[in-house]
Amino acid sequence: MRILLVDDETEFVATLAERLSLRSMAVDYATTAQEALALIEEHAYDLAVLDMKMPGTSGLELQSTLKERCPAMKFIFLTGHGSETDYITGSSEASSYLVKPVAIDILIAKIKEALGKW
Amino acid sequence: MTAQYDALGGSGLQFFGKVSASVSHELKNVLAIINENAGLLEDLTFAARRGSPIDPDRLERAVQNFSKQIRRADEILRNMNRFAHSVDQFEAPVDLGELAGLVAQLAGRKAAMGRIQLETMPPSQPVVLNTNPFLVENLIWLTLEFAIAATAAGGTIGLVPEKSDGAVLLHITGISDMAGSLPGGMPAGHEEILAALGATMSPDMAGSRVTLQLGQAR
Repeated sequence: MRILLVDDETEFVATLAERLSLRSMAVDYATTAQEALALIEEHAYDLAVLDMKMPGTSGLELQSTLKERCPAMKFIFLTGHGSETDYITGSSEASSYLVKPVAIDILIAKIKEALGKW
Repeated sequence: MTAQYDALGGSGLQFFGKVSASVSHELKNVLAIINENAGLLEDLTFAARRGSPIDPDRLERAVQNFSKQIRRADEILRNMNRFAHSVDQFEAPVDLGELAGLVAQLAGRKAAMGRIQLETMPPSQPVVLNTNPFLVENLIWLTLEFAIAATAAGGTIGLVPEKSDGAVLLHITGISDMAGSLPGGMPAGHEEILAALGATMSPDMAGSRVTLQLGQAR
């Protein structure tokens, strides 16, 4: 199981990646869509955790590109907005929407659920 | 001036809502970073209790992250507080350089989403006028919305206050696609605000800029 985290907040995504790694998960992170697209050329990811709002390319736009290149990839969206319901109609492909700040146990549960490993 | 607020109808509220939403989004990001760093300290403490050594450099980086985010949140809230108090008075002395800087900071994330930088150029001497602070903020915000939409990614939009023959001007510069965006590109509500302030807006196609004439200097 390999996970890709994408968020333009470097301190957030780097620390989250470190914490998931401490839990024996294989994790890489990117702070831009371009970095994410470069990483999928190097590794096969089972799931991507995407920030909804990033400079230049939104999470939904990035999901669309990733889905084209990696059809089996699952997705979880993170949003800084107050309510997940703002985005529930945004995409039928998403496994979950989580609002920041998110408890790591909940994120891991959602990751396992999305990958059918629960 | 109360009647002028009424004439603005929903656009003033919409402006306030957009700024509030942007600020709350920024604060959520701050909280998310603090949350992850607090969680990391928990993780490291848990590991230490089980015999793993703690790397002092890693602890220091987490602490630095806390300090950095606290400073960031403080600045966000100071800006929000200044903005919220701009409705206290219908008319007040306004330092246009400071006010333009505030709106640029409030609009910073919106610009960053389009990979555009906002840069306020402080005048050599303060440019001060008596006006309605909230309406001027709203007008600058709407003009920046237009400018951001009309500027290619990677661009820098300047906010340049100026006093010229007693008139107070704010130039919004660096708009890369003026011709393709005017006249239809200005967000709704700007004409009502211009009328309420007795201000004018002049596009300069060749100069890639819009100039707001906001009144007479004090």
